[in-house]
Amino acid sequence: MIVEGNILAIPRPNIDTDQIIPAHYLTSIDEDGMGQYCLSGMPDGPALLAGVPDAKILVTGENIGCGSSREHAAWALRDRGFRAVIAPSFARIFLENAYNNAIVPIVIDPAQLATFAAAKRATIDVDNQTIRLDGGDPIRFELDELRKAFITGGGFLPFLASKIDRVRAWEAACRK
Amino acid sequence: MNRSLFDKVWDAHVVEELAGGNALVFMDLVVAHEITTPQGAIAIEKEFGDRLYDKNRIVAMNDHVSPAKDTATAIQAQVVRRWAKRQGITMYDIGDNGICHVIVPERGYVTPGMTVCCGDSHTCTLGAFGAFALGIGTTAQAGAMLAGCLILQRPKVMRVEVTGKLAPDATAKDLALGVIAKIGFRGGTGYVLEYTGSAISALTMEERMTLCNMAIESGATSGIIAADETTRAYLGATPLAPTGYGTLRADDDATYDATVTIDGSRIRPTVSWGINPGESAPIDGVVPADAEAASLEYMDLHPGQALTSLAVDQAFIGSCTNARISDLRAAAAVMRGHKVSIPTIVTPGSQAVRRQAEREGLHDIFQDAGALWTHSSCGPCLGMSMGVIAPGARCISSTNRNFPGRMGAGGRVHLASPVVVAASAILGRIGSPAEIDVREPVPA
Repeated sequence: MIVEGNILAIPRPNIDTDQIIPAHYLTSIDEDGMGQYCLSGMPDGPALLAGVPDAKILVTGENIGCGSSREHAAWALRDRGFRAVIAPSFARIFLENAYNNAIVPIVIDPAQLATFAAAKRATIDVDNQTIRLDGGDPIRFELDELRKAFITGGGFLPFLASKIDRVRAWEAACRK
Repeated sequence: MNRSLFDKVWDAHVVEELAGGNALVFMDLVVAHEITTPQGAIAIEKEFGDRLYDKNRIVAMNDHVSPAKDTATAIQAQVVRRWAKRQGITMYDIGDNGICHVIVPERGYVTPGMTVCCGDSHTCTLGAFGAFALGIGTTAQAGAMLAGCLILQRPKVMRVEVTGKLAPDATAKDLALGVIAKIGFRGGTGYVLEYTGSAISALTMEERMTLCNMAIESGATSGIIAADETTRAYLGATPLAPTGYGTLRADDDATYDATVTIDGSRIRPTVSWGINPGESAPIDGVVPADAEAASLEYMDLHPGQALTSLAVDQAFIGSCTNARISDLRAAAAVMRGHKVSIPTIVTPGSQAVRRQAEREGLHDIFQDAGALWTHSSCGPCLGMSMGVIAPGARCISSTNRNFPGRMGAGGRVHLASPVVVAASAILGRIGSPAEIDVREPVPA
């Protein structure tokens, strides 16, 4: 699986999920259609998005997605066209939500942030876990071995569904 | 041997170790609310024939915007209401609801040693009962309802030891802000915070909930406090009055991935000045010299400014952090006999809290002071329904997040304890109860 596209760089720390999508847009029962609100909680978010209208890859500073658990943040990014987020660190819930929505979460060395933020375009080989910036040399990145399959393969819920019998057996054994 | 409290709870719930350092972790309870449940419930229905692992392990409620404010929120509430009815899930709704992190513990659903998850980041509140309780996304919540499990990376465990005892004027909220200031706004990421020490043992259950509630604000997966007699007494007085639970404790020689020690007696009444809960200072302090430029710009502050010099436009007492009965009693004790000088909203955490407050006459104190006394809900905390603040407005708030735009686009939030919010509401600027002439209650 290859993700290739333009980069929107907002190399600031602590872009919380309220900034990605404010609470007053959390009133839909659909996952689709939230892209129109993407980054609308950040004062200059809409202008930044307009600067790279076809961006597919978001580069940010530390602690992307902190705060509220709202998966709407992942839905808004995905619906707006984003397929990868690159940052020195991710908040835990946002990281899980990214995997569950096939947004490739790439953790980079904080010292590399300026380089990634300066790049215009990236090509991400998800299977081989490498990324090329503006046609440069491949840079290796790490992914969660299990959750990677939620991006490239069957998804999170089918995996859990396959475990139900096992869980029931475990629970029954616990009760004995 | 050598195991922390968290280790014991975790180990007792691992169904299977999975690739990549993940584990399949059994969930004893899933809490579902109207903002983050519909998409997951619909996905289960569509893809898996509406099967649930165990309806008796799910509690549902409409809490964020209840009663609904418009058609969209009415639909959300209706989806959850109908789904719960169809599935036979216990549901708390208009008339008997409130904030999930207030309702679930006050009814007695959470016992020591349990695992709990909810599509809400402040689920960590429930760690106050010696449970492993965590916030998750909608898809993960759907998975927990479908398969009874979550897939989790085992968190590291940070011991947060709070020695001594809190000063009379310091609250659990000040301690919560103090912990974040100590370990940093991102410092808890990848950890569960296991709170120990004499200052923790001395906290009431409601204070423990306030402390654990803000574990997420350091990035932590959760917070956890070992159950003791305080826990037993609280649970015994709940409607469900659970029994038969064990009270796990850390081994005496437990090892931790990190340890921080805080002298509880040094915790001062604290107010946030910046744009995340790590940016706070003692109320009699100033905006620090090394403050981030972006935070200063958003909050319209400059280094050296005294926090008590800041005029505020609105005050809010409420939220899953500080809207339990003890919070309202403390705020009322400050407000009694005074008038607020700015728009002030008091929102109890649940209908049960509201009714108790009214039995005690607290609603009269708030309303005599000129504050608005509302029904229970998440309210203004997340700028989703009532009480949204205007761009540039400053709100002193007993809530948990001061992110840009949290309570309304362009709005500025200062986090504080309910007593500081009450005092500030009277003064019209950030101020402490020490500045207020506290009136003795008139004997009934």
